[in-house]
This record gives sequence, C-alpha cells and structure tokens, in this order.
Amino acid sequence: MRPVECATCGNQVLCEKFSRAHTSVQWTAEAAVVCAEFRDRVSEGATTARIRTCRALRSSIERAVDDGTLEAADA
Amino acid sequence: MTALNDEVRVIEAGNAPARFARGWHCLGLADSFKDGKPHEIEAFGTKLVVFQGEDDGQLHILNAYCPHMGGNLAHGTVKGDAVACPFHDWRWSGDGRCAGIPYARRVPPRARTRAWTTLERNRQLFVWHDPEGNPPPAEVTIPEIEGVHGPDAGEWSAWTWKTARVDGSNCREIVDNVVDMAHFFYVHYAFPTYFKNVFDGHVATQYMESAPRGDMDLGNLSSPLRSDASYYGPSYMIDYVWTEVAPGVEMEMVLINSHYPISADSFMLQYGAIVKKLPGMTDEAAAEAARSLIGGLETGFEQDIEIWRNKTRIDNPLLTEEDGPVYQLRRWYEQFYVDVTDVKDEMTRRFEFEIDTRRANEAWHAEVEENLARRAAAPETGA
Repeated sequence: MRPVECATCGNQVLCEKFSRAHTSVQWTAEAAVVCAEFRDRVSEGATTARIRTCRALRSSIERAVDDGTLEAADA
Repeated sequence: MTALNDEVRVIEAGNAPARFARGWHCLGLADSFKDGKPHEIEAFGTKLVVFQGEDDGQLHILNAYCPHMGGNLAHGTVKGDAVACPFHDWRWSGDGRCAGIPYARRVPPRARTRAWTTLERNRQLFVWHDPEGNPPPAEVTIPEIEGVHGPDAGEWSAWTWKTARVDGSNCREIVDNVVDMAHFFYVHYAFPTYFKNVFDGHVATQYMESAPRGDMDLGNLSSPLRSDASYYGPSYMIDYVWTEVAPGVEMEMVLINSHYPISADSFMLQYGAIVKKLPGMTDEAAAEAARSLIGGLETGFEQDIEIWRNKTRIDNPLLTEEDGPVYQLRRWYEQFYVDVTDVKDEMTRRFEFEIDTRRANEAWHAEVEENLARRAAAPETGA
C-alpha cells in the first residue's frame, strides 16, 4: 500500500489499486478526528462508520493515479 | 512424496475461538416472548430463560439452571415478576435475586443467579454478552430503525421472521459473507454490480447494487436493488434495501440478518423483513410483500447453510483481486473476541475496499446467457 495525502485536509492514508475501479484505503488515524469532511458530518450527528466515502480524499486518490504517484494496473 | 506437497496450498483450518463474542445479540421478535411462559434459549455454551414479568411487563433473561439443585427454569412458570423453578418452586426475579422459597423459613443470603442485560429495540429482544462481565457501553447500542417506533410506525409492515439452527459451523462463516462479493452470484443468484465494504469502529458495512440473474427465479427479489447493510457489533446486521417494484415506484425494505452462537460449532441464524407501505397499500398487502421478500431470501440462506454444513473452516483463504477483503474483515471481527484492553487500533481503524466488479460481471453474464440459450434449445420438459 502507498501513502496518499488528502489535498484538502492533509489526512494521510494508505492506498492500493488493483485497477482504476478497485480501491483499498487503510486509514492510519481516527477518521472522525483527522478528516475535515468527516469532522463536519460528525458534528452534524453522523457516525463515520456510516459514511461511504470522503469525496475530497477520493479526488486526491484519483489525482495520485493520474499523476502516477499511485499505480493502478490498468491506468 | 513431499515434493508435491511443497507446492500445493495447504488449508489451515485453525480452531474456533474458545470464547463467544462480546456484544448485543438478537434473540428474536420481542412479542414472541410475551405469552406469559418462560422460554429456553440455548446460547453462549449454556442455557438461558427469557420471561416477561406479569406486573412490570418487562422481558427478563436469567441463567436457565436454578442455582438450588439445577432445575431448568425455562420449564417452570411465571409467577408475578419472577420465574418459578419446576423442581422446588424457587422464585427468581428479573434482577437475579431469589424472590422467595415457599417451603423454606429463610432465603439463603447469597441466593442470586445471573441476570443478563436486555434491550428491546426494533420490536426485537437483545441480550448483552461479555466474557469480562462489563455492562454494555452506550456507543455500541443497537440503532433504532428510523420510523419503526415513533409516530410513523404505521408506515411499516409487521415483521416476517425466520429462524434456522446451523450445526457444524462456527458463526464466523456467516460474518464472512459481508465481504464475499462472488458468492452473491452463485449462492444468492444476483449480479453484484457495485460492491464496497467499510469497516470502522464496531461497524462493518457492505454497500451493494445488484441485478437478479435472468436464469433464476427469486420471486419478489427479481428486480435490481440497492442495499446498504451494516453489522452493528458481531452479530446484528440492519440491511436497508430499495428496489423498483413498478416503473418509477421504489419500495423500501429493511432486512435483519442476525445470529447468536449456541456453541463453538453451532449458531442460530435469524432473519426478518419489513417493508414500507406504498401509498394506498393495506397492512395485509404490506405484510404479504414482506413475506414474499423473505421467500426469496430464504432460498439464499438455505443455500448458504448447505455450503457451511459441508465446508471446512479456513484461516488462510486463497483470494483473487475480485474477492472481498476477508483478512481485514476478520481483523475487524477479532475485536469482539479479545478483552477490551486488548482491542488494537488496527481492528477498529477505518478501512475501505471497493471491488472492481467488471471482469466478474462479464463472465457471469456470459454464463447466464449460455444457460438461457441452452434452456431455450432444450425440448419442453413439461415442468
């Protein structure tokens, strides 16, 4: 797994992509604390476990694939 | 002889855990225990008695065996807010205290049995199990299904509920299903077109979109659906399902998939369904929709059970890129089998896994097309 940093809040996760469509993300710290998007949602009463994805982090992962820092087999 | 063995994959079956999971476990629909009789539940390697107090109206759970001479309270009778042993009529209150021994001058000072912590939610009864004996933390409580209790409760059908005892398998088998994308095609007859898991804290979620297999008939489940299913703790899954029942008409359903362990190699599977009434739908029509939905689920669960009954436990599954994150799921599941102080960050830290389902669906569509073509070419069987 390769480290990917979220361009929005700096949260760093470990990421692996078997293909463009596949994504595996291992968070390395408490999601409700380190992620700006999740923090906002949690303050509105959500629990991170029930949030499907962080959009900002997802964009950062996409960008990492685009710029070649994260390898996806079919990219 | 050994040369060949060096190259083949050897299954590590491992051993089922020596303890049972910490967490809330659903025992069934609450109403089913409210008939004035004590009920026996075989769970966590022992027997429990569930009864409703005549005066307090509450459901209580105690160890089934009477500490006096071992009589089985579940075969006794409810007297007031206590359950009376059929052997010598010792009375036990819901809090575990001996409430009276009619023939004795005094109740022994330490006459106390184990009372289990209960919770009634979503019209179901839950019991808290913790090998360390701690009370349930508020943050792991069972969430309420939205609208099922409040003023909108009438919008939902009654529960249709099913129970199946599974012998010869540890309950880890059913939990594995949460990540098992491919088995939804082979065992539950659906094409999973979208499949993502999120493990975070004590919750494990499966987001799935699926389409029915054209070569199989599952009644009410025969339309595309979106499913959003979470295990809250080790054994209770709430699955919100949306499916189009007519053009532009989406039906919302909630499925429960739960179990409690009986022993290290047997468990009780329970599943149920409610549907949200569509405009103009009668109670009876909604209940019928829930029953028909369960019919489709039943086929899938029966086939799951057939697989479990005949498979081996496997600690080192051999996976492809199209398989879900079995190892990470088991790492999450482990948190319920260790003492609270031994729960590691890696067991509870958020992990996400989204499968690329394209390759699998191409292969499966080809297979279904082939099945349909073969069927069309075959002479009429009259079946």
